[in-house]
Amino acid sequence: MKKVAVLIISIILFASGLYYGYEDSKRLNESRCLGCIALLPKAASFSTFWVEYPPFFHKKGIPAHPEAVLNESREHVVMLFFWDTGCDPCKEQWEEMKAKGIVDGSESDGRMTGNFSNITLFSIDIFNEKDGLRWLNVYTPAENPSSTPTTVILFTKNNTTYWYAFSGKADGKAGRPDLNKLEEILNEAMVMKDDM
Amino acid sequence: MICSGNCASCPVPLLFLAGGKRAKSRIKKEYTKPIQKKRLASQFIFLFITNAAFIFGVTGLIYPYFYCWEAPQATMSCPIGIMEHAVLETSIALALILTGTIFIVSSIFGRAACGWACPIGFLQDLIGKDKKKNKKGMSERDRKARYIKYAILAAIPPVVYITGTMAYTNICPIGGLTATIPILLLSPGGYTPTAFFIPKITLVALTIFLIVFVRRGWCKYLCPVGAMMGPFNKVSLLQIKFDESKCLKCYNCAIACPMDINMPYDNKSAECIRCGLCIDACPTDALKFGFTWQ
Repeated sequence: MKKVAVLIISIILFASGLYYGYEDSKRLNESRCLGCIALLPKAASFSTFWVEYPPFFHKKGIPAHPEAVLNESREHVVMLFFWDTGCDPCKEQWEEMKAKGIVDGSESDGRMTGNFSNITLFSIDIFNEKDGLRWLNVYTPAENPSSTPTTVILFTKNNTTYWYAFSGKADGKAGRPDLNKLEEILNEAMVMKDDM
Repeated sequence: MICSGNCASCPVPLLFLAGGKRAKSRIKKEYTKPIQKKRLASQFIFLFITNAAFIFGVTGLIYPYFYCWEAPQATMSCPIGIMEHAVLETSIALALILTGTIFIVSSIFGRAACGWACPIGFLQDLIGKDKKKNKKGMSERDRKARYIKYAILAAIPPVVYITGTMAYTNICPIGGLTATIPILLLSPGGYTPTAFFIPKITLVALTIFLIVFVRRGWCKYLCPVGAMMGPFNKVSLLQIKFDESKCLKCYNCAIACPMDINMPYDNKSAECIRCGLCIDACPTDALKFGFTWQ
């Protein structure tokens, strides 16, 4: 009798788990938690904004920028910050950007601040925002799984979208910009958006 | 195609290199009886399924054993990673799929996934030291030490909740062995280490040391997934049945048991991984596998 009860409970739990939790589990499995593997990926150093995918991405052509991002980028420079709860490098980068006066608030409810308050921030929790992972895939090199944190800066001028992206923390290592460089990139984007 | 060719995504080839001679002689010596031949086939099949994202893609299923979802070809999610996310996101859906997976597998098979499916268990079977001939089962100190894995399992949710981080995953040695090291081998120079890299790799080294020198050392003392499944051994449908009238009291079963269980009497022990070595060692068929509702 005890075994029958355990088995019935197990079947109910498993069936409801698959129904309610499968997609959430899959979404988590599809993205790489960089903090979890204790590794951050190499990035393409910033020299100029890209229009098409650079060779480093092993993808071709112009990225399929998300419509909402594209629309906003016609008005303002946009920064995308992809993060995940429990991701240590995401938290660290957010707190450092906050200390540096680039952003304000929390990851889930953040905004750009100070000199950068004209920039629109999309701070995207890839677990809770349904389109987050799809958006993140656009900015991930073909041979790598999508990973958090990933930062993207982009703007549209004369119907051309210019962008730069890197995965991993903004710590100045392996091609990734440090926070000073990130500020420079944001400033350059604002200047190009206004002056080109 | 029988594998991705990504040997670095699979821990066994890596450790075959380190413990190749021992692994080869272990297969020749230990996997000879009928149950063990089936178990070897099962362990290879699950090793393949575990690392077959290149065929099946990434799924939302959860491994009913301990394996890292960040491994380059991982097909399913890590049970401990899901547990941590369930706490961090206060997600009932994730808690449901995790408990559902563990309950359904364990209520049918008990802890058999450790003995028949887990790649880390397979690795331990291949490279672990031969166990000492011991008729008496585990010592009192050893028995107490087995509670460490339950303490680890119990500590994970509160620590994750308090710290707000993937506290276990950050330093998980199985993740280090099956994800961090393979990723580094597949992309030399493609990554830089975080602050957790040194602790993680140190724990990988200590874990390898443990599993080489203590037979099934990871399963016995440290595996939190084994701790989730162990208690189901008492109520699972699959049991090791003992017919006392046939028993010669030779204790060959106890000598063969890699988990040092007090066989044949403690055949419902939470430590039993249903490997069947005791059954193969019994000269009178006093022990056998069977599904039972009682």
